[in-house]
Amino acid sequence: MKIAVCVSHVPDTAAKISIGPDGKNIDPDGVTFVVNPYDEFAIEEALKTREKSGGEVIILSVGSDANKESIRKALAMGADSAVLLKDDSWRDSVAVAGALADEIKNIGAELVFFGKQSVDYDNSIVGQLTAEILGFNCVSVVVSLDINDGKIRAEREIEGGKEVVETSLPAVITAQKGLNEPRYASLKGIMAAKKKTIEEKPAATYENLSEVTEMKRPQVKQPGKIIGTDASAVPELVRLLKEEAKVI
Amino acid sequence: MKFKTDNSEIQDFLNDASNFKGTCEGVYFPQNEADIIEILKDANRKNLQVTVSGNGTGLNGGRVPEGGIVISTNNLNRVIEINEEQKYAVVETGVLLSEFHTMIEQKGLFYPPDPTEQNCFLGATVANNSSGAKSFKYGPTRDYVEELDVILPTGDKFTIKRGEISADGFVLKLTTDSGDDIVIQLPRYRMPDTKNSAGYYCKAGMDAIDLFIGSEGTLGIITRVKLKLIDKPENILSCVVFFSDENDALNFIAGAVDLSVNNDDSPDQINALGLEYFDKYSLRFMKEEYPQIPAHAGAAVWFEQEINDYTEEILLDKWVELLSEHNADIETAWIATNDKDREKFKDFRHAVSSKVTEYITREGIRKIGTDTAVPKDQFPEYYNFITKLVEENNIKYIVYGHAGDSHLHLNMMPVNQNEYDLARNIYHRLCEKAVEMKGTVSAEHGIGKLKRNYLKLMYSDENLKAMAKVKRTLDPNLILNIGNIIDPEILKEV
Repeated sequence: MKIAVCVSHVPDTAAKISIGPDGKNIDPDGVTFVVNPYDEFAIEEALKTREKSGGEVIILSVGSDANKESIRKALAMGADSAVLLKDDSWRDSVAVAGALADEIKNIGAELVFFGKQSVDYDNSIVGQLTAEILGFNCVSVVVSLDINDGKIRAEREIEGGKEVVETSLPAVITAQKGLNEPRYASLKGIMAAKKKTIEEKPAATYENLSEVTEMKRPQVKQPGKIIGTDASAVPELVRLLKEEAKVI
Repeated sequence: MKFKTDNSEIQDFLNDASNFKGTCEGVYFPQNEADIIEILKDANRKNLQVTVSGNGTGLNGGRVPEGGIVISTNNLNRVIEINEEQKYAVVETGVLLSEFHTMIEQKGLFYPPDPTEQNCFLGATVANNSSGAKSFKYGPTRDYVEELDVILPTGDKFTIKRGEISADGFVLKLTTDSGDDIVIQLPRYRMPDTKNSAGYYCKAGMDAIDLFIGSEGTLGIITRVKLKLIDKPENILSCVVFFSDENDALNFIAGAVDLSVNNDDSPDQINALGLEYFDKYSLRFMKEEYPQIPAHAGAAVWFEQEINDYTEEILLDKWVELLSEHNADIETAWIATNDKDREKFKDFRHAVSSKVTEYITREGIRKIGTDTAVPKDQFPEYYNFITKLVEENNIKYIVYGHAGDSHLHLNMMPVNQNEYDLARNIYHRLCEKAVEMKGTVSAEHGIGKLKRNYLKLMYSDENLKAMAKVKRTLDPNLILNIGNIIDPEILKEV
């Protein structure tokens, strides 16, 4: 069975983000990019599935040459091969999903893993859109997965609990934290990854259905103030909570 | 300037990361150098004991007061200058090391000293000559200090620049900013030829700045430091490798140390930044949090080396060859592919010590941990000696640390008072053995107030008195950080 894992290359969550001069993009200067953290759960689950049932794990990524760093990491974790669907321009979720769906059809993958969301734009819809375009079943925000003879039993996180879903292949699974503990890239894996070539082809053309018109920083939090450090400050604190903060 | 005396506000200043707890009358929060001068002048007049406090991460009670007042350095936390062209930074004493690292690296520069605990103040790392995993290649904090502003216990100030004042033999002459001359007679002991933070740094013809670095605050208060920076390495290879047999791991480290120290600076030859060791008990401690640790692992080594696009493949091959010679498990070895992974490996190393702390807190027991180092050729014998002695006495322990520097932390976790007493005796014996092998009782944690007795194993009474005389010359009324390094009884005698 061919298993595809769709990987995005995103700013490290610890990076300090500033908005670029056009006001529509982030300024990438000095920002470290990493594999989208949720995609690491997706890669791990694909590798575990291959270890259990055999098959081949193929990494797919839409974007520029910079994405190769994250693709290499996925290969070093143990993926078999990778395709970079090249496009240097910005794509919305629909255009990304379209390009991925075309390639998934092309390679004939029956099982596709995504992270439940990319931590750059946080749209949380590329997996579902891809499944829709392909006509695959889809289970999102999965925290436990069992696949046997083409039957899938998945647990997904829902508000205040878990939902158990059964479906069948072909399917798209989007991974949530807790699904597994991603392995580190291994020394052997990185030696093997050096010898693997990343196939590059232009991403299929799909029209963006949305555009970013403006990026804004969240409002700066007002600094706190210390009214006092002992009991004598209590009356003033109560007054401020009543009159200024209006919470009591 | 704030002076706090309320118990709830000063209790954070009464202990450090050891379990040692002290008392004080109150804590000053100076904003600048002038405030510190004022406090010291006043204390010196009144013969009032002063203890200087960093961020409380020390392990030997160095900042724990035994009466008197405390000076907090929390508010002296400005980064005054970062000079990217000439590669230096000038900082106040209370700048947090972790924040400094981030700030420097964003500018493409690098500050090599990397104590495992990064939540410490830069001035304190100078006072303690702190070191870490990468000190194997880059050396300790001392190697990066170019200039210091020091306020003496008398309130006099002077600025010392590296290369400006050297001792004439064992006599050091200093002039304060107000023009007073001070003549210091240095002790004549020979320091161990290992990584060392036990006692004052003393050598014939030494640079004056080196006396203050590592003096644990006993000679003056550091208010401002100029630190040397280097270019940020293009990339760093970082691996955690597992071995079934601990001897293989130790032999691998010995092989990598030899290749690294004999490296003629060729970028495509093995040249480790650090070689950190974890024994099987350390790995067992970590297994719950790191399920990726292979089940068969009997030991692990974390190593790092600078690489670039050209050397990466060549060096990977060389490391794999060396690892294979020593039966490492290449299949399961972890490798970092980006900065984030590298941080995770650093956290893995830090997790050993924090897991021990969590465990002893949960079980309500006290740990006894070594900080000894021995010369490289003695290391295998010393390792066997220490592990055998603890095993024979059936005391629960783990051992990990900077094996590249022949410097390990063996932590004993005695479960009752009998075992605790036994562990104390064993600890004494481990220190004695290190000294017999011409090593040190403290390679990086310093002496503080808790390890003074072990310093006595290294230096004769005469040498300890010579150290006390240095202190007394600069602190005639004996007010500053009393109890650190030198026994107060000896201070009174000289």
